[in-house]
Amino acid sequence: MKTTKTTPAVPALKKKGLKPDTHITVLLSMMAFVLLLMAVLKPGSYFTISNLRSMIFQFPEYGVLSFGMMICMIAGGIDLSLVGIMNLSGVAAALIITNMGGTNASIVLGCAVALVVGAICGALNGFIIASLSIPAMLVTLCSLQLYTGLALAITGGPAINNMPDAFKNIANGSIGPIPYVLFIFIAVALGMAFIMNCTVFGNEIYFLGSNARAARYSGINTLRVTVMTHMLSGILGGISGILITSHLNSAKSSNGSTYTLLTLLIIVLGGVHPDGGKGKVMGVTLSVLLLQLIANAFTIMRAPDTFKTFVNGCLLVAALILDVVLEKRAAKKAAKS
Amino acid sequence: MADEVFLKLKGIKKSFGGVHALNGVDLEIRRGEIHCLAGENGCGKSTLIKAISGVHRVDEGEIWIEGKLCNKMNPIDAINKGIQVIYQDFAVFPNLTVAENIALNGEVKNKTKLVNWKEIHRVAAEAMAQVGAEIDPDVKLEQLSVANKQMVAICRAIINDAKFLILDEPTTALTAREVEKLWTVVRALKEKGIAVMIVNHKLDEIYQIADRLTILRNGAYVSSGPIHEYDQARFTRDMTGRDISQEKYLPKASEEEIFRVENLSLPGAFKDVSFSVHKGDVLGLTGLLGSGRGEIGEALFGIEPAQSGHIYLNGQEITIKNVADAIHNKIGYVPEDRLTEGLFMDRSILDNTIATSIRKYFHGIKLDKAAMEEATDRWIREIGVVTPSSKPAVRTLSGGNAQKVVISKWLNTDPKLFILNGPTVGVDVGAKSEIHAILRELAQKGIGIIVISDDLPELLQNCNKIVVMRDGRVAAVVDNSIEQKELSDLLMGRAE
Amino acid sequence: MNKLKTKSLLTSTQMILLYVIVAFCLVVGIRQPAFFSPATVITICRAGIFTMCFALCEMVVLISGGIDVSFPAIGCVAMYVPMYIINRVTPIDSALFAFGLAILIGLLFGLLNGFLVSILRLPPLIATLATSSIASGGVVTLLGTREFTTLPDSLQAIYNTNIITYTAPGTGFTYLLNVLFLVPVLACLGVAWMLRYTMLGRGLYAIGGDKNAARVAGFNVRRLQFFAYTFSGVLTGATAMMYTVLMHSSTTSALMGDEMIVIAACVIGGVRITGGHGGVLGVVLGVVLITLVQNNLNMLGIPTSWQTFVVGLIILLGTIITSWQAKRSSHGKA
Repeated sequence: MKTTKTTPAVPALKKKGLKPDTHITVLLSMMAFVLLLMAVLKPGSYFTISNLRSMIFQFPEYGVLSFGMMICMIAGGIDLSLVGIMNLSGVAAALIITNMGGTNASIVLGCAVALVVGAICGALNGFIIASLSIPAMLVTLCSLQLYTGLALAITGGPAINNMPDAFKNIANGSIGPIPYVLFIFIAVALGMAFIMNCTVFGNEIYFLGSNARAARYSGINTLRVTVMTHMLSGILGGISGILITSHLNSAKSSNGSTYTLLTLLIIVLGGVHPDGGKGKVMGVTLSVLLLQLIANAFTIMRAPDTFKTFVNGCLLVAALILDVVLEKRAAKKAAKS
Repeated sequence: MADEVFLKLKGIKKSFGGVHALNGVDLEIRRGEIHCLAGENGCGKSTLIKAISGVHRVDEGEIWIEGKLCNKMNPIDAINKGIQVIYQDFAVFPNLTVAENIALNGEVKNKTKLVNWKEIHRVAAEAMAQVGAEIDPDVKLEQLSVANKQMVAICRAIINDAKFLILDEPTTALTAREVEKLWTVVRALKEKGIAVMIVNHKLDEIYQIADRLTILRNGAYVSSGPIHEYDQARFTRDMTGRDISQEKYLPKASEEEIFRVENLSLPGAFKDVSFSVHKGDVLGLTGLLGSGRGEIGEALFGIEPAQSGHIYLNGQEITIKNVADAIHNKIGYVPEDRLTEGLFMDRSILDNTIATSIRKYFHGIKLDKAAMEEATDRWIREIGVVTPSSKPAVRTLSGGNAQKVVISKWLNTDPKLFILNGPTVGVDVGAKSEIHAILRELAQKGIGIIVISDDLPELLQNCNKIVVMRDGRVAAVVDNSIEQKELSDLLMGRAE
Repeated sequence: MNKLKTKSLLTSTQMILLYVIVAFCLVVGIRQPAFFSPATVITICRAGIFTMCFALCEMVVLISGGIDVSFPAIGCVAMYVPMYIINRVTPIDSALFAFGLAILIGLLFGLLNGFLVSILRLPPLIATLATSSIASGGVVTLLGTREFTTLPDSLQAIYNTNIITYTAPGTGFTYLLNVLFLVPVLACLGVAWMLRYTMLGRGLYAIGGDKNAARVAGFNVRRLQFFAYTFSGVLTGATAMMYTVLMHSSTTSALMGDEMIVIAACVIGGVRITGGHGGVLGVVLGVVLITLVQNNLNMLGIPTSWQTFVVGLIILLGTIITSWQAKRSSHGKA
């Protein structure tokens, strides 16, 4: 009796071990495919140092944002207000820096304030979600309006421009040929990988997303974890706010409006499950890179920006369908053995 | 007429991926009888229901309905032949009114396009009159108690010319009074010539209601006959395949007190509850649903804390206001619903085992993965979880093994008091006795053990002291020398 | 019993909304006595036309247990493509063509949503987000971003047809209520009838309440989901063309961002985002409240740049209150 019931565990084990790997293999082969395609179509302009550099200048701002979306979704929720948090933080930073005359001290203070604003916004989201048990989708949809509105109210309409050079340098400068933002992105990715894999908090996020009720019965403080998750997501939104403000030399309430969709696409493509509980930093990182390769390929091919939006929508559907198909196949295999 | 056979099953076999869920089941249901289907968890009861209602196609055997061979039924065919099943979740719509819940299925079946509200109210009133239910037809289902939801499900089932009604464990979530009311309704249906099959494994309830009884074990037919042919001993023997175990748990009396509660109260749940656990004790806490047995467990674990009273652990008074307090005071709790409350089904055995104790593996700046693996492997060995490693998802484990993982999770926190709510629900016979052995061993080591259960034979066999709850109060504290009949009388309030 | 029912009637979501609306009107009216005039009614009716129609789309989808955030993008495509054809390809001067094509476009994207959600079983939020970017990305790539501000004669004729003309005695200002106002009115009545008196409507509630129970009861869950999204697409298409007519403008981004207000109007009106609850009356009140707030914040002295924030705050508070009320009502066990 016992042996017949537990034998399915063996193939299931192999599959579980392999599943994230298949996802990463798929991502890597898609990247290889894009590179190959470009090697055939536009070898001259794609594989150049300057093109590589231009790519690196672009992806960190939405890459960092994707990690925020990732942890919220792993925890079983979603954060649709991230772009609002990003812009509000950016506006707060810009306001402080321009009003204090653009000194180095003001830049440090501005960046710190951006992170704090992000943290507060995120914590507010998390608190409303967990304490009143309202679906995260609804809360963050509302708070997106709130944060965007606040950014608009602060600026009064027009963008805050004319940032000091030292601030612009954050997202536009480089050490030798390597842009600063690459280091920021790598640091965030490593930090996230560490949090998700090596800390109690990271594990609690996975537990919460797998089964919130069981998490409570296991002694996990679900309110605290939800608030902290959204707070971390908000802080990442704050970092993106600094990056995008520096990159565009402009802070306003309507920057990066396509990023919500883009980050969702990135994390779903990267193997984060929309129902929560599953997803890896590695997958999301590769997914960010893949999306940048594709976007850049379109730029080189002189396709309009809007075409990217179209393709991203198609890719999102394709990624979801791929997940469904993989899941069905796995279930079938499990049923057979 | 009364003896006319409605349904006859012969040698039913059904297997899933090489596992025999049903291995030769015979069953005979007569018109207008109340038939009980009994068997331990995992004996194939639910598979059998699904075969009768056309959800599963049987591999071998014959299904005869009203003298016709009906092996290739689908669910719609089964309903058209008058077979209605009420599952434990009732399959009702929480957001619709009582009247709609009763009448809507019929409207769908008739393929009507427009809704006739008068007709819906008429049908609902008629159905409720038939079973004698009195529920406001305009109330939404989400506002009803479980018992009333069940009534709605029964009303819905009988309006479609039901000839045979199957109730899957209908009493698990009902209070004593609600069970009485249910039996009245079932008897009324019987008077109308409707055959009723009740899936149940509590002998005293079966005695109250059933005309005949069929017992299954490990997917196979064991015995069948009129209820008066079964006494306690035969029932248990047929259910488990063993005679009543004589080896009751009788520890050496110890004066050393581990845990004591005094006058614990939570308005609406329980009042003035006092008991104590000594070293070596396995304390049973029993009572009918609504007696407060489960609520005490949840209160001691801080899910819904008590509002007044005193709790002492190892001589020290402690306060428990939330789950964190309970865990801080080294109290462990195995919840009643393992799947939704106890386990992270998609995560590995390792993740589940260290879920509560994860903080102690956080050394310096990161988690000590090796120590986590080592601890999990140790528990897999000691508790006897049957698995090739700590990596598989808990979803792949059997009920018994999954429950052992929940137990491991708490043992890994070094509990001083271990509360188990329904520890062997949905666990097969072999794993059940292993879990009992583990509990005895832990009690001997000096860990206070409280088992909350309504499985009386299990309690009598494994607990040396049993607290009987009734209407939120302690009705009696007995030892395990009493007979099951006496214990059940105490539960029902038929004895003091 | 009756007392109990009266009490629950007085504290129902709809009644609370009504109190809030009345209170808001009083506050605005005290600050600006000019508020109490037929002109205000006409202005609110006019301003609420699009929100009302979109809210009906969203409500049907939400009741079925889904969510649709793609209607702004679908609407933009549906208003842009016919105007593009009329202005740039061939001047077809026909209201029937304009509305017909808009509705057809809405229908096609609605079918796409339905396919993604009911057949492929993708999460509705993500599926409709994808549709949204496919729609807006696709149309801009193919047809560019222009703004068409002139209407062909047939559409201009609709614009010129008013059902109410009111001249304010003091200012001599004329307030007009266009004939298209009848569309949301008729749509409300139609949807209310459909939800209450057809098996289709009850089926939407059933699948929103419990999909498995609905399947067991014999409802065709997939077909009902398909219907919800397709209905949403069709009404979105028609509404988008109405927008073009009334606003004299057709762009590829005119409606973007509307989903927030519309979902908020639904939720405040008692439609639960988890499905199965809500009705037309509540949504109408929700739309009225939001339209009132949007149009009268400056009357309260709130500067324009703060209005998005204040609307956001009101939406968030409304959502919190209704969610809290929903939780309370499902806790009271009889």
